[in-house]
Amino acid sequence: MPARPVAHSVPEIEDQLGKLWERAAVARAEAAKAEAALVAAQAEAAARAASALATARDTSDGGGSHVAARTSVLNLVVVAGDEQAAQKCAAIIMATATRHASRSLILSAVDPSGPAGLEARIEALSMATAGGRAETGAETIYVTAHGETGAHFASIIVPLLVHDLPVALWWPADPPFGSRRADRLLPIADRLIVDGSAWSGDGLGILAQLAAAVEERRVVVADWALLRQARWREAIASVYDLPDLRPHLGAVRRISVDYAPEGQGDAVWETNVVRPLYHVAWLASRLGMTVAKPIRRESAGRRVATLRQKEHEVAVVLRPAGSDLGPGSTVRVEITSRFRGAELVGSITADDHTVEVSIRDDGRERVRRSYAAPRLTDVDLLALAVEEGAADPIAVHALATAHRLLGVESDAHKTPDRHRSQDYD
Amino acid sequence: MSPARVPAAPPVARTARQLRESVTAARRRGRADTDTNPLRQGLRLERVPDPCAFVLFGATGDLAHRKVVPAIYQLWRTNLLPVEFSLVAVARRPYTSEAFAAELKASLEKYSRVLPIDEDSWAELAKRITYQQLDFADDAGFDSLGQKLDELDAKCGTAGNRLFYLAVQPSQVTEIVRQLGRVGLDKEVRGAGWRRLIVEKPFGRDLDSARLLNHEVHKVFRESQVYRIDHYLGKETVRNLMVFRFGNGIFEPVWNRSYVDHVQITVAESIGVEARGAFYEETGASRDILQNHLLQLMTLVAMEPPSSFQADALRDQKLQVLRAIAAPDADQVRKNVVRGQYGPGWVQGEPAAGYRQEPEVDPESETETFVAGRFEIDDWRWSGVPFYLRAGKRMPKRATEISIQFKDVPLRLFRESTGDPAPNVLAMRIQPDEGIMLRFAAKVPGLGLDVRTVNMDFAYDTSFVVDSPDAYETLILDSLLGDASLFTRADEVEAAWGVVTPIINAWAEMPPPHFPNYAAGSWGPEAADELLERDGRRWRRI
Repeated sequence: MPARPVAHSVPEIEDQLGKLWERAAVARAEAAKAEAALVAAQAEAAARAASALATARDTSDGGGSHVAARTSVLNLVVVAGDEQAAQKCAAIIMATATRHASRSLILSAVDPSGPAGLEARIEALSMATAGGRAETGAETIYVTAHGETGAHFASIIVPLLVHDLPVALWWPADPPFGSRRADRLLPIADRLIVDGSAWSGDGLGILAQLAAAVEERRVVVADWALLRQARWREAIASVYDLPDLRPHLGAVRRISVDYAPEGQGDAVWETNVVRPLYHVAWLASRLGMTVAKPIRRESAGRRVATLRQKEHEVAVVLRPAGSDLGPGSTVRVEITSRFRGAELVGSITADDHTVEVSIRDDGRERVRRSYAAPRLTDVDLLALAVEEGAADPIAVHALATAHRLLGVESDAHKTPDRHRSQDYD
Repeated sequence: MSPARVPAAPPVARTARQLRESVTAARRRGRADTDTNPLRQGLRLERVPDPCAFVLFGATGDLAHRKVVPAIYQLWRTNLLPVEFSLVAVARRPYTSEAFAAELKASLEKYSRVLPIDEDSWAELAKRITYQQLDFADDAGFDSLGQKLDELDAKCGTAGNRLFYLAVQPSQVTEIVRQLGRVGLDKEVRGAGWRRLIVEKPFGRDLDSARLLNHEVHKVFRESQVYRIDHYLGKETVRNLMVFRFGNGIFEPVWNRSYVDHVQITVAESIGVEARGAFYEETGASRDILQNHLLQLMTLVAMEPPSSFQADALRDQKLQVLRAIAAPDADQVRKNVVRGQYGPGWVQGEPAAGYRQEPEVDPESETETFVAGRFEIDDWRWSGVPFYLRAGKRMPKRATEISIQFKDVPLRLFRESTGDPAPNVLAMRIQPDEGIMLRFAAKVPGLGLDVRTVNMDFAYDTSFVVDSPDAYETLILDSLLGDASLFTRADEVEAAWGVVTPIINAWAEMPPPHFPNYAAGSWGPEAADELLERDGRRWRRI
């Protein structure tokens, strides 16, 4: 059962926020007084003159009467879509509150053809720190916009931002790049948080739009789909730390990524393949590869592309493979290289807790390693996404390479439909 | 590909570090393999500790149980150690490996910073614990240790990499090092792994003994293999001091004699010597705190910006500071250095015994439990700026703080104000309540023009609620990674002794001090206050 709204306009929300922290300050002051009285009573009973003097000195310089401060470190704006998505996002945000004190605005829109208006409620989380002395706060403002109001999120967001703090814009569903809403909201944000693996269809069209936004508008992006793969990248990199394997990084001939499909037949093309593509894009960007032939469909969910590394070509294959994993999950990454006549095949797989790497050298197993690297949770991903202060150049390069890989299939450069019925601001 | 040049890959599993636990590791730069492995670029975890055996001498001791093993457990629990890891506990008392592991677990339940203990994780670590009874003077025992380590290489895949951690009495260090050298455990053979030595402070008792210790250690280990721990350097706030100074543009321009009036550094402990009476009798506050923690903090405050955060670039700058501190002669010691010893008193509402009444302490002891001094750094940046350092036991509270006291305004425009605006202070609290405070004057709201001093306070735990790693976790991980930035170099140690030894020598020549001269629960002897009052200053109330 959703909580009762406490505000129906932005000024009312601001008023409620002010009252909330005033009440907190009063409560804290009262608690501090009670504590001081208790300490004083104990001191009177127990302390001798020397320690009483010390105590007096101790508290005379601000140490004992520290005023709790609400330390916000960012504004997090969530364009949640509907109430259910808003609740899910709120739960994740609440779990990260101990890591990132913030003001979160969770916006959802309902009944677009109904009467205009908004409802808002506020939750504040106050946490004693490990030392039990100070407090930190996180505020979550839930805004449900009705009717025409839902088309003007930017006008609600801007006055409610804590000034002078960075703004992270979290778009958990398909971000409507090119829409009026995106055009209004993206300039507000210092960072855009998305999850490419949750996008509709194969996700590649939106990925191309995202890449274009990064290149053209310098949007700083944290894509959970790419963040999730950090454990794969760690494992792959660690294996090639072995000095005798490193030359193979300059002699890659084939990169193949198996992914778990969604459905069969033509439906397999609807599998979101953002994650498999990111593996290729990351490897290509790190290993100095250029795109010779962009990615294209073959058959039965199989996509191919051709990269170029120095003077040789690198075949790229994304293909569906039987797996219990969720659709679009990477099942296996295989890197084949040939150096001085020796063929090396690195095969990487992962489950919930570990990443397995095996290296075969001319068919003979050279290395088999298991990395304890649990899959990141949504809470981890959100925390990581807001932790980075600036654009991660490795992610930028990977996304740019993905963009180039999508040259054929991408619809990034299509003119967006600005007149869709859902084209809110 | 020549098979002879190919190191055999370990046959068993190896662990990667868990991404979300690795924020600190993300800051490690410079020694990464990014130059040669392009896939490592930009990863949060730029290096992974190699498989290794961690050989802990003094494993039954207080330090091992309170600090070292909890740190290892925490690193293990968060997947920061390789699977091919072995903890070889070495001490004199007889134990089986199982019994010793059980004792370690009991200690963890007391001292681990994350409770409850993760049973699965502990079970995995416990499997890797081997106890080796050893008398440090026993040749056969060290021969046997060498064999055991070879066996572990084969059994656990530790690949010949060995870290020797000496959590032992200072007097035992030389003998252990000699024995390690005798059986060849120091030798880094190409392709057969690295060998590193961690030595705990104090590094000697004075300049001569420090030189001798360094000489003895260098007979066996190269300097690049030696990691001298001053755990203060592993504390988050101390590391943040460098970020604060060199990651912000606004402070460095005023960080000099033109703007700074003086600097105070306090390391206050509310506890006494607890069960370490015998140890403390040999050291005292000068050797225990001044020579290392206080002078290290002073170097971090005073050093010039290093060209990079590579270990030697950083340590070169710190060394320059230590070398610029003039060694005091006997007259200067008498004038500028104060020593004290606590008598009975009350600390935090509890009665506290005097130092001479503590267990294992000589009832006539002249060991100082408090030291305060006025030091100057003779260089262009700091000439004429006094650095007041103090450290003591049984102070009213536990607090470590660095405060930069800025010069007063040249003209007091608000002298008619009821309040007397104090000069600006920038205080960095190292512990507890880590944070940074800037004190400045502000107008009191109202029709008049009253001015009052206010504090702008940044507390770590209100902005970053995540737990900071313990200093030992940071330092042990760094040593496993071969990063010596936060460890003190031999020449640094000797330079610090160059400052402290003349003080100790001068005291030895003086008449016996009138100890005890401060009550437990006070801020030290009156002479420490007079040290600053003479200059028209006073200690900050902490």
